[in-house]
Amino acid sequence: MDKQQIMTELNTIFCQVLNKTSLELCEETSAKDVDGWNSLTNMQIISDAEKHFNIRFKLREIIKMKNVGELCDTILNKVSI
Amino acid sequence: MSTTFDELIVRPLLHSLSSCQDNNAFYIEGCFYSYRDMAEAISKIRAVIKNIPEVNVGLVANDDIETYASIFALWLEGKCYVPLHPEQPIQRCLDIVSQVGMNYILDSSEASRYKDIQVIMTHYLSFDKLCLEYTDNFSDDTLAYILFTSGSTGKPKGVPLSRGNVAGFVDAFYAMDIKLDSNDHCLQMFDLTFDLSVQSYLIPLLVGACVYTVSPKRIKYEAVFELLDEENLTFALMVPSVIHYLRPYMDEIDAPSMRYSLFCGEALPLDDTECWSRCVPNARIDNVYGPTENTIYCTDYIFNREGENKESNGVLSIGKSMKGTQTIIVDEKNEILAANEKGELCLAGMQLTPGYWNNPDKNQEAFFLKDGTRFYRTGDICTMDSDGDILYFGRKDSQVKIQGFRIELSEIECVARKFYDNSIAVVAIPLYDNNRNCTIQLVVESTDRASADTLTNYLKEYLPPYMIPQRIHFLERFPLNVNNKIDRKKITTLL
Repeated sequence: MDKQQIMTELNTIFCQVLNKTSLELCEETSAKDVDGWNSLTNMQIISDAEKHFNIRFKLREIIKMKNVGELCDTILNKVSI
Repeated sequence: MSTTFDELIVRPLLHSLSSCQDNNAFYIEGCFYSYRDMAEAISKIRAVIKNIPEVNVGLVANDDIETYASIFALWLEGKCYVPLHPEQPIQRCLDIVSQVGMNYILDSSEASRYKDIQVIMTHYLSFDKLCLEYTDNFSDDTLAYILFTSGSTGKPKGVPLSRGNVAGFVDAFYAMDIKLDSNDHCLQMFDLTFDLSVQSYLIPLLVGACVYTVSPKRIKYEAVFELLDEENLTFALMVPSVIHYLRPYMDEIDAPSMRYSLFCGEALPLDDTECWSRCVPNARIDNVYGPTENTIYCTDYIFNREGENKESNGVLSIGKSMKGTQTIIVDEKNEILAANEKGELCLAGMQLTPGYWNNPDKNQEAFFLKDGTRFYRTGDICTMDSDGDILYFGRKDSQVKIQGFRIELSEIECVARKFYDNSIAVVAIPLYDNNRNCTIQLVVESTDRASADTLTNYLKEYLPPYMIPQRIHFLERFPLNVNNKIDRKKITTLL
C-alpha cells in the first residue's frame, strides 16, 4: 500500500463521515480547511480509519498529526510494520 | 471584605501587572507573554479607547494578547466588551453590532472584515508609556460584557452582565476554597463568546498565574491534551465532551500536576468522570453549573473519589448553590416544590443579569418576582434533595447543548424556513449515537432534494458553525400526533 492509495481511501472515509459527495483532500489539508471537520467528526474519522486500515493510533500520535499528509504517513508506517 | 468589582477584580489585576512583571501571563499559540507584555498591551489600547464616548464596544474575539488586553483596557475605562466571533457569519455579527447600537470595534486582526464602522486595529497600535492608573470608581451597575446566545426567534439574544455580577462570581469562586497562586498553569479552552472563558482568563490573572489558551484552529480535545501533557496544567475548566472524546485513550493520559479539574457547560457523565479521575490522580474534580444569565456558574458538586456520588441517569449532580446564589425548584405556578420533586430550576442573587438586552417580551417570560426576590427560569428540569444537592433531568424546551454551546433548535428552524420563504415546514432534531454524541439533523417537508446544498450554504450565512445541521433529510409528509402537531418523536425514528 502506498501513500496515494491511503489518501484515496481516506478521501472516501472523510466523505462518508462529513456527508459530502466529493472532497479533494491534499497533504496540507487540515481541520480548519474543511467544513464540518470538528471534534466529533474527527473522532469518527480516526475511529473509521482505525477500523478500515486495521490499526490503532496512540493519542500522542493523533495530536502530532497536523494535516492529512501526516495522517497518511502515520497510517503508512503502521500498515507497513 | 468588600465585594465590589474594583476590590475583587481591578485592584488584584493591577497588583499582578505591577508585581509579577516577569511572570508569564499567557501562553498563546506556542508563545509566552509576560505580565509586562500584558501591561504594555493594555496601556497602548487604553490610550486610544479613552476617547471613545460610548460604553459598549465590540471586540473581535481573536486568540491573541491584544484581544485579552482589550478586555482589561475597556474595564479600566469603565466600558463593556461585546465579543464578535471571527469565524461566525458576518451577518450574525452585524446583527449583534446593530442590536447593541455599537459604533466602535476593537480588532486585532491584520485586516478587519468590518466596514462603515469605526475599527481600532489594536495589533498596529504602538506602545508609548504605561497607563495603569486607576482612580475612577465606576458603579457596579455598569456593564462588564454582553454575550449573545442562541435565540428561539431566529436572532441571537443579548445577555448583559454587570461589573457587580462578575464581582459576585469571583466572590463565590473564592468561597469554593480553590486556592490558586502565581505558580499555577491554567487552561483557557473557550471562545470569548462563551462565558466560561471569563472564569478561565480572569481568575488566573487575579493571582499572577499563567493562562494557556487553545487555538481556535485546532481540534479542541487534542489541543487540551497537548497542553495537559506538555505544559503541566494545574487548573482546568473544561466541557465534559473533552473527556468524552478522550475516553478511548485514557490509559495513555497521566496528569499528576493537575490540582483542580472543573467541568461545566453540559451534563457530566459519571462513568467518564470516574475514568478521568484516574488520569488526574491528585486533582479535586468539580462539576459546576450555571447559565450565562447567572454569570458563568453558580452551583458546585465535588466528585467523591472514594465512595458514592449523587447522580441521575448516569449524570453527576450539579451540587449546591454557591455563595450569593439562591436556587429553588418550582412548579408551573412558581410554587416551591418539596425535596426530590421534579420542577424547573430557578436562580437569584448577586450573579443574576439585569435582563436580556432590549427584549421586554423575553424578560417578562424568563424572570419573575417571588417574595420580593427576582428569579430567572433556567428551563432546566431538576430536583433538589434535602441536602440542597441538585440533579439535572433535561430541558423543558427545545434547547440542546453541543460541546457546551447552547443551541435553540427553533433558531435553526427559523432560518431554514426563511430559506423556503416560510412556505415549507422544517424541524431540527437532535440525534444521539451509541456513545451519546449529539448531532443536529434538519428535516424538510419536501421532495426537492436538490435544494440541500443551497440550503446549507444559506444556513452558513446566518448561523455559527456549531449550529449547522450535520445532515439534511427530506420527507414528503411530516407525521402528525394526536393534537395535529408535527410528531418530532416519530420523525426521529424515521432518520
